[in-house]
Amino acid sequence: MAAFADLCISGTNDKKRLQSIIETAAHLGYSTVAINHLVEVQPKKQEIGKPKCVSELFDHFPIVQGRSRPIRVLNRLTLVVSDTSHFRQTADFKFYDIIAIYPKTEKVFHAACMSCDVDIICIAATEKQPFHFKRPPVFGAIERGVFFEISYAAAIKDSTMRRYTISNAISLMETCKGKNVIVSSGAEKPLELRGPYDIANLGLLFGLSEGDAKAAVSANCRAALLHGETRKTALGIIRTVKKSQPADEREDKEAPPSKKAKLDAM
Amino acid sequence: MSDPGAVGGSVTYQRLVHKNSSGFHYMKVSLVFEKEGKRIDGAFFKQLIISALRNVYGEIGAAFPFDVLKFEEKSLTAVLRVYNSGLVKLWSALTLLGSYQNETCAVRVVQVLLPYQYTGGP
Amino acid sequence: MAAHVTDQQLRQIRSILLEGWACTGCDVRGPGFSEDCDWFSIRCGNELRKRILLKSLSPQISAVKNNVKKKRTVICPFSSQTSAMFSELQKCPRNVLVCERSSFMNEKSRHDKHVSQHYFNYKVSVFIPHCGVPPSSLSDAMRRFTRFYLVREVPVFELLGEECLEKTVRTGRFYALSYKTRIDQDDVVALLPTGQLILSVVKDTYEQLGLEGRPSQYAHKRPMRYVVVIDLTDKSMAPGSKRYDRVLWALREKVPLKTDFLMACHSVVGTEAWSLPPCLSRYPWKELQASVDTQTLRDLPCPVLHGDDLRGETACEPHAFLEWLGAVGLGIGCENEATSFLSTYECPEPRTLVDQAVLCTVTGLLLPEDIHSLLEELRRYFDQPKSSSWLSLVVHGFADSPISWGMAEHGFHKGGENFYSFVLFKNQDYWLHMGTGANDGCPP
Repeated sequence: MAAFADLCISGTNDKKRLQSIIETAAHLGYSTVAINHLVEVQPKKQEIGKPKCVSELFDHFPIVQGRSRPIRVLNRLTLVVSDTSHFRQTADFKFYDIIAIYPKTEKVFHAACMSCDVDIICIAATEKQPFHFKRPPVFGAIERGVFFEISYAAAIKDSTMRRYTISNAISLMETCKGKNVIVSSGAEKPLELRGPYDIANLGLLFGLSEGDAKAAVSANCRAALLHGETRKTALGIIRTVKKSQPADEREDKEAPPSKKAKLDAM
Repeated sequence: MSDPGAVGGSVTYQRLVHKNSSGFHYMKVSLVFEKEGKRIDGAFFKQLIISALRNVYGEIGAAFPFDVLKFEEKSLTAVLRVYNSGLVKLWSALTLLGSYQNETCAVRVVQVLLPYQYTGGP
Repeated sequence: MAAHVTDQQLRQIRSILLEGWACTGCDVRGPGFSEDCDWFSIRCGNELRKRILLKSLSPQISAVKNNVKKKRTVICPFSSQTSAMFSELQKCPRNVLVCERSSFMNEKSRHDKHVSQHYFNYKVSVFIPHCGVPPSSLSDAMRRFTRFYLVREVPVFELLGEECLEKTVRTGRFYALSYKTRIDQDDVVALLPTGQLILSVVKDTYEQLGLEGRPSQYAHKRPMRYVVVIDLTDKSMAPGSKRYDRVLWALREKVPLKTDFLMACHSVVGTEAWSLPPCLSRYPWKELQASVDTQTLRDLPCPVLHGDDLRGETACEPHAFLEWLGAVGLGIGCENEATSFLSTYECPEPRTLVDQAVLCTVTGLLLPEDIHSLLEELRRYFDQPKSSSWLSLVVHGFADSPISWGMAEHGFHKGGENFYSFVLFKNQDYWLHMGTGANDGCPP
C-alpha cells in the first residue's frame, strides 16, 4: 500500500484554519493533502485564477505521525458543471496538481467519464445523486484511469447527508464494483477529519471490500495524483525536469506515457 | 476452530492453532471537543457512544454489548472492548460521530488491538 | 378492497422502515398501473429484510398497514454484492494464536528457537503473582539488556561498506531496523543477525532500484510493495564481486535510500562491548538503554492456571488468560458485574485474590539473546520455594517490522500484532502462545 492521502480539504482564505486542518491531517497520519478550490462554472467565460502557493502556508511543514517526513500539500481544482458546454479546459489548469469535476447532470457525468481531461469525478454527498450510474460511462472512466470520489465530511455533520452519502456510494459500488474509488474528507474544520484507518473501516459501509477500502485512501490516491502529473506534462510526452543527474540515466525510468497512465491506475 | 497439531516426540508436547477465535477487539480512543476543557465522566461517555451507534444503526443495529474498560476524565481517553462481530459497527459509528448535544466533537481512534496487544511504536 | 396507496403514504412507510438505518439500499414501489391493486413492493437487501420484518411489528407501521389495507409486502432480494456488504460489517480482521505446551527439560523443546528467531522486539513484560519486589537477579537481568543506538539519516549503502561489514555483521549478531518507517507506506530496511538484508520497498523505489525481489504477499490486486533479500554472507556478495558492485551501485546511485536506524549488536561472549563503528558514527547518533518500569499491584484477582490444561477445559482458556494479562498491563479494573453499566469485564474463573503481584516492563530495541537470558533467569525463580505456581513473560514485536518469525513476512493491515508469551510453571513445564494479526504468516 502506498502512503495515505486526503485529496480534498476545503480551501479557505482563513490561513489559520487551513494550517490547523493540515496539522491535524499530519497528526492523523496523512502524508499528502490537497487543498480544494471549488469553482462553479458559469456559461460566460471566466477566469479560474491561480491558487495560493502552498509554501506560504508554513515555514516548516508538520511531520507526518509515525513517519519522518513532512506532509505534502497540493492544490486541487473542482469544477461544478451543470452543462457539458460549460466545461472548457483552460490554461489555468496547469496551476493545479489535480483537477476534479462535480457533474450535476447525467450528460455531464457521461462526458466527464468518457472524454473530459480530469482526474477525479465527485459523487454527490449533500443530495441524492440526480442520475443513475450507468455501466458504459463508469467503465469508460475506469478504463481511462479516472477516479470516483466519495467525501465523508457531510456524513459526519448531518444524518440526512449521511444517508445520501452512503446511499450514493452504494449505488456507485453496484456499478463500479469497488474499482477506482477514492475517499476523501472535504473537511472545513479539523474536527471533520478522520484517520486513514478509520476511513478504511468506514469504506465497508460504502460497500467497499477491506482491501478496496484501504486502497481508497492510499494506492488509489497515489494513482490519481500520477494521473494528474501526466496531464501536466502535456499528455506525458514531454516532461521537463530539473537537471540533477546525467540525462542517459533517466531514459530507462520513463515508461511509454500511454502505458504508464494505465499501469498506475488501480 | 482449533486443530490439534502434530504431537512431538514427547508425551508432554501439545500444539493448538486457533484462527480468529479471539472473541474481542479492544479500541483505544480519545474524545475531542471543539471547546476545550469540557469535563465528562465515564457514564456520560458510554451514553454518547450508545447514541452515536443508535444514530447510525438504529435501535436494533445498535443493540450489541460493549464495555468501557477504562476512562480517563483528564484526557478523555478510553479503552473499549467489543465483540468481533460488533467491531466494524462500533468503529464506523465512532467515525461518523460529529457532535453530541449540539457540541462539535470527534472521536480519535488511537489503536485497534487484539486484547493482549497493548503495544505501539517506541 | 380497492384502497390506493398514495405517494405520500409510500414515503411514510419508507421513512418508518428506514428509521435509524443509514443505508438506503431500498426502493418502495407503488401499485403500478392498476387502480384496484392494494399492495406495494419493497426492493431491498437481505439484512434490511430482517429489519423490515421486525419493524413491521412497530405500532406506527401497523397504522400505515390499516390505512392502506395492505395485504402483503413483496420482498425480493437485491443483488448479491449488497448483501455481501452487510455480512462484511460482522467480520473482523483475521488473527491467529498458536498455543504450545512443553517442558524446558524436554530435549526437543523449541522455546529457544522461537525466542531467537523473533528478531525485532519492542517490549517485554514480566508478571509474577505473589511477589512484592522482583528478586535482584531478575532486576539485574533486565538492566543488562544490550544498549542500542539510534542513528539518523544513514544511507543504506553504508551498511554494505567493507569496513562496516567487518565491524557489524562479521563481529557478532548485528541487528538493524529502520525507525519511523511504516511497513504499509514506507521503504523499510532490516538487517538480520544472519547477515540477511531485507529491503521491503514501495513500488516506485523497487522499479528504480533494479534489484531482484518478489512482490509482497499482502498485496491487494496489484502489488504495491516488493521485498528484496540480500544475503551479505553469501560468496556472491563478497566485496568486489559483480553482484556486490551492482547492489552498491543501486543503493548509492539509483536510489540513495536514507533512513533512521535502530541498531544493536550482541557481541560474542568474552569480547568487549560493541560500539558504533566510524562508518556509522559519522551520522548523528544517540546511545540508548532499554527503559525498565516496575510496579507492584495489590489485591488483584488472578486466574488459576493448571499447567496440564492448555486448552482451558477446567480452568482459564488461553484467550481469556491473555486478555486478562493485557488488562493488567493497561491497569483495567476487573471488579465488575454482569449488570454494571460501564464495563462487564471480569477476571476469568476460577480465580483467587492475590495480595500482591509485580509487573515489570522493558521497552526498547530488545535483542533475542537478552530475552533468552531473561527467560533462563525466570526459570531459576522457582529454584527456591515460592507461593506462586506460575509466572509469565510477554514479548511484543515491532508493529512495523518487515518480518515476524524467521523470514516470515510481516505486514500491517489495521494493526501489526506479532507477539509471544511464555507461562512458566514450577515444574519447568511451560506454555507458549504466539499470536499474529491479519497480514502475517502462521507462527512457527
